[in-house]
Amino acid sequence: MKISSVRYLTKEGVKNVWVNRLMSISSVGVLVACMVLIGLAIMLSLNISRIIGDLEQQNVVMAYLDDYNAALYDQNGRTPPEGAVVDENGIAAESYLVHNKEEAMAVRDRIASLDNVASAEYVSKEDGLNDIKSTLLEGEAEYFTFLDEENGNPLSDAVKITMTDMSLFDETIETIQAVPGVESIESQNDLAEKINSIKSGVFIAGIIIVAILMVIALVIVSNTIRVTMYNRKLEISIMKAVGATDSFIRIPFVVEGVTIGILSAVLSEAVLYSCYRVASEAILSNIGSYTLIPFGAKAWMIFGVFIAIGVAAGVFGSSMMIGKYLRREGSEFSAI
Amino acid sequence: MALALAEQSILQTKRRQPVIEFKGVTKNYPNGTHALEDVNISIGSGEFVFVVGSSGAGKSTFMKLIMREEKPSAGEITVNGFRLNKMAHKEIPLLRRTMGIVFQDFRLIPNMTVYDNVAFAMHVTGADSHDIRIQVAKSLSRVGLGDKARSMPNQLSGGEQQRVGLARALVNAPSLIIADEPTGNVDPNMSYEIVSMLTDINKRGTTVLMVTHDHNLVRDFGHRVIMLDHGHIVADNAGGKIDEN
Repeated sequence: MKISSVRYLTKEGVKNVWVNRLMSISSVGVLVACMVLIGLAIMLSLNISRIIGDLEQQNVVMAYLDDYNAALYDQNGRTPPEGAVVDENGIAAESYLVHNKEEAMAVRDRIASLDNVASAEYVSKEDGLNDIKSTLLEGEAEYFTFLDEENGNPLSDAVKITMTDMSLFDETIETIQAVPGVESIESQNDLAEKINSIKSGVFIAGIIIVAILMVIALVIVSNTIRVTMYNRKLEISIMKAVGATDSFIRIPFVVEGVTIGILSAVLSEAVLYSCYRVASEAILSNIGSYTLIPFGAKAWMIFGVFIAIGVAAGVFGSSMMIGKYLRREGSEFSAI
Repeated sequence: MALALAEQSILQTKRRQPVIEFKGVTKNYPNGTHALEDVNISIGSGEFVFVVGSSGAGKSTFMKLIMREEKPSAGEITVNGFRLNKMAHKEIPLLRRTMGIVFQDFRLIPNMTVYDNVAFAMHVTGADSHDIRIQVAKSLSRVGLGDKARSMPNQLSGGEQQRVGLARALVNAPSLIIADEPTGNVDPNMSYEIVSMLTDINKRGTTVLMVTHDHNLVRDFGHRVIMLDHGHIVADNAGGKIDEN
């Protein structure tokens, strides 16, 4: 097709938006409503993902090491081999793997190198006990001083682990468990499961909402194009009579649909910005501790999504309608 | 003088070649109407042919088959070298670009100027804007509306509107003009003017096929007449002779 034809057809399409302005305004209105809802759904799921991300960071797994304390408090299967030199508790040095901080750090390094491990931090048994004590109410800690003085610290050295992806929680726990020197693992498995189910729930709900709204957008654009098409029945019949190809007839309608889509995308971005600002101010005044993702950080991404929806709805909505028309009625140019 | 003779001889040679040819054409509609039955006709290049017949005689179907708006149920049709039976859908626009169509109801786009209504037919064929400007001006002056280019259709009389329709049909320099009762909505004086214009166009070599109910026009202009009745060609006379029976 020649450039002059493309220019002419584009001009005709844009002109149609104006000629058919009442219908254009109503479709832009409905499309903007759809796009703003899609935008809000995206921003909501991004914020939920961020909250979940924070939760994931807090979901700490403690791997307790197989050190002397573990051997002391859990002697099952630790019977010293015959002839081994044992200490006063009857435990041989060979029956536990971690004897000192260097060996504990080596186990930590090995855990840190595993897949899906975001961080691995060495926690000495003294720090561990202090952590526990710090969570107790005032005065309660005194009851536990006997542990240090008489029987020693019952905790083992430990590695504090966080994971990157909670959906791989069980597999990661298994690999950590298999690391030599790890005695036991303490985790909040149910929290991981909850996080995963929330995450997939948000994802599925988001997809369904966006899909429904996309279908609505498509129907809206195709209806507008249908009205334009019937308004321009005369023109189409003349076009066919003078030898216009189907694509030549189709292009102005597609341009009209795309123009409506792009106009809606631009307006939606502005409306979403205002809605999000109002919403984040309302949320911040109620739950001040959490800050929402700023709109500016995602503005281009959202605008890209809006433009893609607008253009797709414009192209498919109008092509569908005009294609149907040309197949069924468009050839009847001598009897309109 | 010599040039005129040469032109005449070229026209006569061309006339021997059929522009429209129907061989055993039958058209039945799905609702059971038998619109045409075993029609055989040949219209040569450069001829002016009137098609007459009462309502329901098959005139519209005859025209629709030529424009490839309908396909025949049986038989073969050739128009401007296109074999319509075997034609692919995408070839239809190419066939229609070889013909200019004049409608009874003018079919002008009300919100476009006279100029744009005519230019529109050229835009469709992908012509460039320079050619469009020249051809539209030529075409409008040929129908005597050079000074009305900026007028809107509703500012024109019926006759003038039909002349715009004629200018639009001519603008792509077609070899065949199909006029479907072009005088049906204009006064008798204007009818004569329009058929005179079509006769002038025909004299320059363009084949003209015109459907009409106006027997006076047919007699006065004296062109070939094809008469249809109940789907059959009942008369095919030269010189505007109509068999009233």
